[in-house]
Amino acid sequence: MIAIEALIKIVILLLVVLGIVAYLVLLERKVSAYMQDRIGPNRVGPKGLFQPIADILKLILKEMIVPEKANSFIHALAPIISITVAVGALAVIPFGNYIVIGGQKISLMIANVNIGVLYILAMSSLGVYGITLSGWASNSKYSLLGGLRSSAQMISYELSLGLSLIGVFMIDRTLQLDRITMAQSMGLWNIVYQPLGFLVFVTAAFAETNRLPFDLPEAEPELVGGYHTEYSGMRWGLFFLSEYTNMIVSSAVMVSLYFGGWSLPYVNYAAMAPNLAALVQVVTFFAKLGVIIFIFMWVRWTLPRFRYDQLMNVGWKVMLPLAILNLLGTGAVLLAVK
Amino acid sequence: MPKVTIVEDPVDGKGKTVEVENGTTVIRAAAQAGVEIPHFCWHPGLSVAGNCRMCLVEIEKMPKLAIACATQVSEGMVVHVNSDKAVEARKAILEFILINHPLDCPICDEAGECNLQDYTYSHGPGHSAFEEAKNKKPKRVPLGPNVVYDAERCILCSRCIRFMDEIAKEPTLTFVERGDRVFIDTFPGKDLTNPYSMNVIDLCPVGALTNREYRFKARVWETSSTEGICPGCARGCDVNIWVRNNEILRLTPRHNPEVNNYWICDNGRLNSFRHVNSGERLNSPMIRKDGVLQEAGWDEALAHAADALKPFSKDEIAVLGSAFASVEDNYVLRKFARQVLGTQNIDFFRHEIEGDQDALLIRADKSPNAYGALEVGVAPSKGADVNRIFELIASGKIKALYVMDDDIAATKEREELLAKLDVLIVNHWVSTKTTQLADVVFPSATFAEKFGTYVNFLGRVQLSRPAVSTLEQERVPGRFNMSRLDKFGSAFDKWNKGPRRNVRSSWEIISAIGSLLGGKMRYQSAEKVFDELAQSIPSFKGLSYARLGDRGAPLKKAKEEALVK
Amino acid sequence: MMTNGNGKTGPKLTLWEKLYFPEIIHGMSITIRAFFRPKFTRQYPEERWTPPPVFRGRPVLVMEDETKVERCVACGLCARVCPSLAIEVQAAETELDKERYPERFEINMLRCIFCGFCEEVCPEEAIIMSKDFEITFTDPRDAIFGKEKLLIPASHLKDRLEFLKQYR
Ligand code: SF4
Ligand code: SF4
Ligand code: SF4
Ligand code: SF4
Repeated sequence: MIAIEALIKIVILLLVVLGIVAYLVLLERKVSAYMQDRIGPNRVGPKGLFQPIADILKLILKEMIVPEKANSFIHALAPIISITVAVGALAVIPFGNYIVIGGQKISLMIANVNIGVLYILAMSSLGVYGITLSGWASNSKYSLLGGLRSSAQMISYELSLGLSLIGVFMIDRTLQLDRITMAQSMGLWNIVYQPLGFLVFVTAAFAETNRLPFDLPEAEPELVGGYHTEYSGMRWGLFFLSEYTNMIVSSAVMVSLYFGGWSLPYVNYAAMAPNLAALVQVVTFFAKLGVIIFIFMWVRWTLPRFRYDQLMNVGWKVMLPLAILNLLGTGAVLLAVK
Repeated sequence: MPKVTIVEDPVDGKGKTVEVENGTTVIRAAAQAGVEIPHFCWHPGLSVAGNCRMCLVEIEKMPKLAIACATQVSEGMVVHVNSDKAVEARKAILEFILINHPLDCPICDEAGECNLQDYTYSHGPGHSAFEEAKNKKPKRVPLGPNVVYDAERCILCSRCIRFMDEIAKEPTLTFVERGDRVFIDTFPGKDLTNPYSMNVIDLCPVGALTNREYRFKARVWETSSTEGICPGCARGCDVNIWVRNNEILRLTPRHNPEVNNYWICDNGRLNSFRHVNSGERLNSPMIRKDGVLQEAGWDEALAHAADALKPFSKDEIAVLGSAFASVEDNYVLRKFARQVLGTQNIDFFRHEIEGDQDALLIRADKSPNAYGALEVGVAPSKGADVNRIFELIASGKIKALYVMDDDIAATKEREELLAKLDVLIVNHWVSTKTTQLADVVFPSATFAEKFGTYVNFLGRVQLSRPAVSTLEQERVPGRFNMSRLDKFGSAFDKWNKGPRRNVRSSWEIISAIGSLLGGKMRYQSAEKVFDELAQSIPSFKGLSYARLGDRGAPLKKAKEEALVK
Repeated sequence: MMTNGNGKTGPKLTLWEKLYFPEIIHGMSITIRAFFRPKFTRQYPEERWTPPPVFRGRPVLVMEDETKVERCVACGLCARVCPSLAIEVQAAETELDKERYPERFEINMLRCIFCGFCEEVCPEEAIIMSKDFEITFTDPRDAIFGKEKLLIPASHLKDRLEFLKQYR
């Protein structure tokens, strides 16, 4: 029973997320166009709304080229790893509290693991395998450099990412995302308690998702696309999907940890019919998600890329000390309050 | 010997002092000092006319400017080439010349190599005070079969007149009319048909005299020019070969005081490169199969030739070199005959036309390298000479013949004799009677497609460079002179697709056959062949391509003969 | 030359700028303003545009209206000046007064970069930049425009000819 329930939830979530991803690509193109005084794609369907469908069709129909000297098995495997771990991380995100069907409470997350956040961190660090392996398997200097950069970058920023979160855990005393959300729905959002931690987390999240200004593994001008230089067709498309899925995961984590997840202040869910409450919650969650993703894009089309040495400097000499500072500060305040 | 100081830089006023012969003119003294004084009518190969006034210079202690071409130097003379006065004078002269000179450069063939254009650019005033209508004069006047005259462009320097008087020794041209209506014409009843008439085209400092054939064909800046040797007669005049799109467009004389001075004859200029561009060029080795010549690959044809020669004893084979081929070709052929085939029957055909010669350049021997062929041993010391070879063919004693770069089937009888041979192998650049009778034909490179040396009748060894690329030898920098189009064109440009023929130098072909027959003859380049022959043949001792340079060098023997004289 | 403290050249930064985050906000405020600005994109194939005379479209040869003869005298200057070697001219003699005319005149439109040098150098005002910018082909051989495509009557090129007069 539980298995069937989970399966249904997985299927729905996958469809929804992949659909969102496809349209995120369109959104990104539109956002970038508008920020550059253009109007972006507008030819396929009304206002260009069918563009993602055309894109996906194109990617599926395109030949998947494998370089002659590449390790073809790993070359094929790498994008699958990337997309799997990206989607996998979505399992512990609470999109709402619960719905009631046939008198049964059904939680609006797929797996309620008690180490939820750790699980996400673990998954996102697995993502680096996809990139590093693709870089290595392509047998191309650009890909290899992109892969190397990616692993170095991930390791550098994962530390700050993890450390910055500890503040939240110390306050809410749990690693479960739904509990953290619950806790926030009772009181203030965590961003109020953890502004510094949030800053570090956001920066690290950008780095973890390889988005500008931290997209050094791709760095078109120097690496011609980096780890996916030698990819084409749907394999390339999978990398693309996983990049956007990662963005959704990061934003979802951000929403859950710092912005109250599905909760809204001054709203009394208990007064509503449970399913209506769930609907409001889901809508709230996705609205918050949307805002954060927009900010992701906004930043991307504003900031130039860092130099590699700058990236490392910021990671080790700024972000890590700040994260530790945040940790100590939080601890001190908590002690004092007690 | 007076000392003169030529001051080129008007600012520091420091000049270069040179010591020159008594009676030298200032313009020559300046040239000796490395300073070029602008001039139109003066030419180092002609007498002094002093009518263009372009070469005005300021000489210290002289009241007025003097023309450098006619003023003789005196001890301690100081000449200012670029003083304010001289510069002003040049400007004025140019403005004056340009009064009636049409703005014709876009149409004019001389543009790009025109003295008037260059000087106007570097010394001219940049404007003109003359606003009235320019003179109208005859244009496109044929002065002879090969030269077209444009009176408007003529600056009346009289170089052409002086050339016909002094060098061609056939006064044909003269000024007619007076004042600004003067133009050049032939004397009544005379036509510009002298065998050297076309030199006036090169002499003319402007585009007034143009080459009828080359007219409007190409711009100088589209072509490359390569230092070559004219193969038209035993003089071996130095020429520049002008090529565009891998096609020879014209030949012009190249100065060499030891050979041709500044001149070449019209026949050489017009006809000596015809065979290079010819539509009759052979473009592949050919083997006779079932009675018909059929195209074949190089390896196949070379092996076939080697096999064909194998069964014959050394007395059954004869070899004919060529006075049209280079020294290297003939040397390799001789080595092939003596060391590989072991035959003594080696000679070459002479191409002399008795009486067709003169005192200036033209020689009766119409081949460029008879001296060279003899010198490397293409001569029957013990074996049969040309006539004897044909007798032996007639009597059936000689059964195989190798002919290099020559058409020997001049008469019907010879044709029949050649048909009698068991094996006839021929190298040639075009299809001839001889190649049509051959069993194996190799397409060989012409003088314009290979490095090669030629010995003229005076015993001067001269190097000719390749100007036309072949299928196997791309036009690459270092080996070839390149035009801008050559340098920047790609394989996809139409104008880079001139025909490149599938030919090899005769020395390459013969040494390949020689190697197949077990001889020790492998050379990387014509230069390597030359180095070897310079080692083994005494009269070539000490010579190398570097030594020969642009002007060539005399054979050792020739040098001694000259000393004896 | 100023250095930014890294030993690299660049403007000196204030402490505020070095903090970086305020500058990020500044930058983002610029992009968001652009986001809401009205757009002026032209919907090209539907909305057409006639270029002004100053526009440099593909180079064409001017043909005199009455005589139907090209102005070009095949001097080859355009071919010489063309930075991309797009032009090939083969001159020949003509009975006309101008003596010389282009027997063959070809512009390789795959090479042409629309720089207008040919127009500028031409002593006869015979090659000028037209308003035609819609040039497509599916075979590189079609990219070589010969005289039949290049010759345009002067009356069709009035705008550009007038425009050029101002600068002569
Ligand atoms: S002669 Fe020289 S200056 Fe005169 S039109 Fe010809 S190229 Fe121009
Ligand atoms: S035709 Fe040429 S060489 Fe003869 S006078 Fe005129 S300019 Fe001088
Ligand atoms: S520059 Fe003008 S006249 Fe000269 S070839 Fe080009 S188009 Fe013709
Ligand atoms: S516009 Fe420029 S590139 Fe095009 S043909 Fe003219 S000179 Fe050449």
